[in-house]
Amino acid sequence: MIGTRRALLWVALAIPAALMIQRFVSGEALAMDLYHPSGEMAVRLMILALLPGPLADALGHSRFLRGWLTIRRNFGVAAFLYALLHLVFYVLDMRMIAAMLDEVVIPGIWTGWLALVLMLVPAAISSDRAMRWLGRRWKSWQRLVYPAFLLALIHWLLLDWQWGPALVHLAPLGLAWTLRFALRRRKSLSRSIA
Amino acid sequence: MTFRQNAKRSALAAAAFAALGLAVPAQADGDVTCNAGPQKAWQKMSKLKKKAWLEEWELLKMQVEGDCYEVYARTKEGQSIEAFFHPVTLKKLVVFRRGQEIYRADGFTG
Repeated sequence: MIGTRRALLWVALAIPAALMIQRFVSGEALAMDLYHPSGEMAVRLMILALLPGPLADALGHSRFLRGWLTIRRNFGVAAFLYALLHLVFYVLDMRMIAAMLDEVVIPGIWTGWLALVLMLVPAAISSDRAMRWLGRRWKSWQRLVYPAFLLALIHWLLLDWQWGPALVHLAPLGLAWTLRFALRRRKSLSRSIA
Repeated sequence: MTFRQNAKRSALAAAAFAALGLAVPAQADGDVTCNAGPQKAWQKMSKLKKKAWLEEWELLKMQVEGDCYEVYARTKEGQSIEAFFHPVTLKKLVVFRRGQEIYRADGFTG
């Protein structure tokens, strides 16, 4: 049962990628037209992976949040795969390794590379086996997603110079973390009074 | 995580952001305005093909962006660029490469 559900989840996660690839293959979109959809998808999936933690901490483990927490790793891995697709479109657009190396020094570009490299670690250790093997250290390695997420937003901002989208994507996590700290503080305060 | 570790991490993060800020030179802007006036007086966008050819660019895409013509192209060195042209005079006004301004026509402030 869990296997089927997981398969369905992955089918759903793969649909946007399939549409992007289809648009590229049919010639409807250039590789450069697909930077935005693939990158945005990666960022949104990172948010889906990062949100349930602080939310569950703040609001308690409701059934919905428990369910979300059990599938969050899938969102994280999917985010990494969309980031890889983003890279594939970049390579298809640039065509030459020399041209890619030439622009690595541009802040808008190296921030993207670094975000991808940082995501590589959490993605590589996403399996149950790696989780068991690493024990408590697993979580600290997974936290690399936070700098990766911030770098991805900076990468976006430095290329587009539009504050709106970056802030919109920062808002959900900002709110969840504020909630986490506010409610946690209240809890510890009431405990100390009692 | 102890408070000290936390503070250390925050300081590192702040330093990283500051370094990044210093590393960003002349900033491109998302909205270029060309003050092009009514569209009736605009020249045909297809005329930009010749302009791109003269620059030795490989033309990827042309579109209207705000009141400017925008050209996506690759230079002969393989650099990916975005160039804005005035729709009436077809003058090259400003060129961006990956979010950085690499050319601006004299006196153009839009």
